[in-house]
Amino acid sequence: MSRIRAVIRHLLGSQETGLSLVVLLLAVALTVLAGSHVDRRTGELVNNFLNSNTLIQTATDASFFAIMAIGATVVIISGGIDLSVGAIYALSGVSMALTLRAAGPLGSGAAVALGLVVALGVGLLCGVLNGALVVGLRVHPFIVTLGTMWVLRGVAFVITHAESLLVPSALTAVTKASLGLGGGLYPVPMVCMLVMTAAGAIYLTRTVMGRHIFAFGGNLEASRFAGLRLDRIQIGVYAVSGITAGLAAFLGASFYGSSSSADGQGYELYVIAAAVVGGASLIGGKGSAVGAMLGAILIVLIRQSIRTLHFDQNYEWIVIGCAIIIAVVVDQWSTRLAARRLMRAGARTQAAA
Amino acid sequence: MIMGTVRRMSGVMVAGLAALAVTATLACGHRENAPAGAAAAKHSNKITIAMIAKSSTNPVFLAARTGAEAAAKELSARDSIDVEVQWLTPPEEDGQVQAQRIQQAVNGGADAILISCSDASKVTGAIDDAVNRGVVVMTFDSDAPQSKRFAYYGVDDMKTGQTTMAELAKLMDGKGKVAILAGNQNAPNLQKRVQGAKDEAAKYPGIQIVGTFNHIETPQDAAAEVTRVDNAYPGIQGWAMIGGWALFTRSLLSDLDPARMKIVSVDALPAQLAYVDKGITPVLLAQPVYKWGYVGVTTIVEKLHDGKQPPEIIPMDLVRVTKNNLGPWARQLKAWGFSDVPQQYLDMK
Repeated sequence: MSRIRAVIRHLLGSQETGLSLVVLLLAVALTVLAGSHVDRRTGELVNNFLNSNTLIQTATDASFFAIMAIGATVVIISGGIDLSVGAIYALSGVSMALTLRAAGPLGSGAAVALGLVVALGVGLLCGVLNGALVVGLRVHPFIVTLGTMWVLRGVAFVITHAESLLVPSALTAVTKASLGLGGGLYPVPMVCMLVMTAAGAIYLTRTVMGRHIFAFGGNLEASRFAGLRLDRIQIGVYAVSGITAGLAAFLGASFYGSSSSADGQGYELYVIAAAVVGGASLIGGKGSAVGAMLGAILIVLIRQSIRTLHFDQNYEWIVIGCAIIIAVVVDQWSTRLAARRLMRAGARTQAAA
Repeated sequence: MIMGTVRRMSGVMVAGLAALAVTATLACGHRENAPAGAAAAKHSNKITIAMIAKSSTNPVFLAARTGAEAAAKELSARDSIDVEVQWLTPPEEDGQVQAQRIQQAVNGGADAILISCSDASKVTGAIDDAVNRGVVVMTFDSDAPQSKRFAYYGVDDMKTGQTTMAELAKLMDGKGKVAILAGNQNAPNLQKRVQGAKDEAAKYPGIQIVGTFNHIETPQDAAAEVTRVDNAYPGIQGWAMIGGWALFTRSLLSDLDPARMKIVSVDALPAQLAYVDKGITPVLLAQPVYKWGYVGVTTIVEKLHDGKQPPEIIPMDLVRVTKNNLGPWARQLKAWGFSDVPQQYLDMK
């Protein structure tokens, strides 16, 4: 009984529960305020927000950011930052499209497999490059990834000659598979987001590597004295970030049917924002994959609300910006409060002794 | 325990609630013609058109929006229907975001979509999905020819590039070094204009193109690019600008010498008129950008309400603006809703 109570207390006390509640509240508010329209296919009156098309479309929009945000969260937990995810997204996408074009006609399975391998491979290579530069040059990751952001986007531009490249329809057929839902619903990106979130959560909380990342970001000196292989951890986190950007690129390019060097511009900011709103601390040692996914969903939901409620869309950046600043500031306050409470409790224990 | 839980959740809770509060405030204060609650149910005589231009920070698309809203107002009054234009243009150019906006418009119950495509291949799938779900789609300015859109309204980009270079070659007596200012390298319509300009230049043996220069499509970035190139290539005597971005600033007015440099530019917005007046840009090739929205909305309403089938390509003609017609053109801009037309040009005959 006490174990169940402890689990409930843990769930209620987690940041993810709070974020889930906020997402739910916003969804309820949108449902109430959204109004309705007549569905052209069925002739029925449907809510402008609470309908299967809008819900899956919102999840699809969030999925590309969320998958990258999981990788970004891993980097942020380690105390680093990766500004190059948008550029990796573009380079992975165009590399995949160019390779598939060069390979000529392939069977559906082979095209999808080749596309996935190339996108993930390029993402991994870019991530390892970032990690190696951070470790090798001993330069702050902000500077290194700022540089690689431009370099990688430049490479994408040069190899495509600014051309927007079509990807084979076999890839679009896979990412736009209805999975039995029909009615213009495409749940594959959403399913991938959920699978990646589960994988990210297991990686961070149930593996030795995950614990090492928290230790590295939480206390670098202690990690060094504990004999952790710090260089390997650092390269590893950027590799994870690169792979998630590669996967998002595969999904994005396949879903929309093309890829260009201009793809993913500014996505790094949305991705970092999703991680931070999801509870990741920019000083390291704190964050979760579930939080990253919920952060991405919340940001996309705020964007969606601007559209659904027919607001002047110029307010979108103001709302998102306010949410991010408040999240970080309040998070810092609550961390300080918690530290103060701990100190007071320690002092009371000492006095009692 | 409850207090502890609330304290632990406070970071995200407060952030989310803040977003919620701002959202709710906007809902009360800044809602744009949105029907509320059950009243949002569509009547048979209401037509909702989602307008998705390339970027909401580009003044040409703001003029197109003014045109669309004016047409909606006129048609609503004339035909006793309720025509609503929903502005769903992204703040920055992004084909993927445009594809998402198309889906949002369809899911939100729009009857039609009027779009200028940042990346045709990126939005073709979304356009086809929209059409399959019963929403009619028309393109303007930048087309998606492989999609199921029913019509395109805009200039012939190849021809626009050719005309720009032909006008410049005429001003330079068919000889001299020129540069091409080309905007976003990824935009297919601009790529076609550049190709047209190059093809035309090939007809003049004395014209030498020193380079094609791309830049971020903001006035500041474009003007900075012109200055950089002028410094790097001191021999340049002419610019073929296939978009007017650089001339939306005033900085080049003082930087360029009309005796040494001639410019022919596409677009003719209020900020560009001073360049014509000063002789730096003797010819502007104006796209009547207001008509993108006006003709677009009119065509869609005539199709949906009156059952008219327009031609697949509706050509837009360029307007040649020189010192001779600066006054009438300035007054035309003013009539189209541009508020920043200098009085001195409005007063010209």
